[in-house]
Amino acid sequence: MLEKLYEFKQMHDQCGVMLCFSGYLSQELMTGIGETLRNKLKQEEDSNVVLKVFAIFVEHAQNIIRYSAEQLVSKNEDQTLGGGILVIGKEEGHYYVSCGNSIQNNKIPDLNEQLTKLQKMSKEELKQYYKEQRRKETPQDSKGAGLGFIELARKSEKPFEFSFDFINEQFSFFSIKTLL
Amino acid sequence: MNNLDIPATSQTPVVCFNEETQTLSIVGECYPENISKFSSPIFSWLNSYLECLEEQVVFTVNIELVYFNSSSSKMLLDLFDRLETAVSEQQKNIVVNWIYDPENESALEYGEEFKEDLNDLTFNLVEKEI
Repeated sequence: MLEKLYEFKQMHDQCGVMLCFSGYLSQELMTGIGETLRNKLKQEEDSNVVLKVFAIFVEHAQNIIRYSAEQLVSKNEDQTLGGGILVIGKEEGHYYVSCGNSIQNNKIPDLNEQLTKLQKMSKEELKQYYKEQRRKETPQDSKGAGLGFIELARKSEKPFEFSFDFINEQFSFFSIKTLL
Repeated sequence: MNNLDIPATSQTPVVCFNEETQTLSIVGECYPENISKFSSPIFSWLNSYLECLEEQVVFTVNIELVYFNSSSSKMLLDLFDRLETAVSEQQKNIVVNWIYDPENESALEYGEEFKEDLNDLTFNLVEKEI
């Protein structure tokens, strides 16, 4: 890895990466990374941009913690850790947040359908859909309110992009990118 | 009446009740790992408070949140629904003030969206004085 490290760093620079995290993510760790991100952004951007990037970062990070197929529950505290990768950067003048984690193959059809539906909605449709979903009881397998992806679609300048890469019979790697 | 005083953390707002002014304040940021764990003491306090609240007393709820995540947004709607039920079914006197920083573009927008979803609850959008 030592020989590859500079290459790794160069690749990050080419992609405009400001911050990258790979591994098991916890809420505590997310809060720390989030603070660093806000402090860095505050030096260059107005408070609305800072909050927008931060909001997108939180929704993505909490998705990894809650829904990654790689889960660890810490022994002493009731804290969940989810494995994944989270990248925040800037390309062509726009901030992006990209995140990826493994998911079970049997979850792909539903997720694919849900995200495709959101991709096609206008801002007004997304607003109505968000309000409709917020009124509903929280889905049983959801650890949040099931509103995260809608919120991401609403905050995103362009529709988010996503993909699934086959890992093996059981798992795939889910990637999603939100552009501000 | 039991007092309510939950200090802020980096991921949760301060939640406190001032008995003198009958005001509940929620101030800060809200994006905890587990929203129901955070909100359940607030709801149990609220339920017993509303039970004892006399009709002539005005209960004020001041909410000033810089940032909250999507699960907290659901929790806030549940909170407003609970208050609205107390107004419409038990004739309680409740005022919610959604305090927003005019420089924070989303804060007013989020407040407006809650207001659109509520009918009987007095929900004021109040610009923060700087």
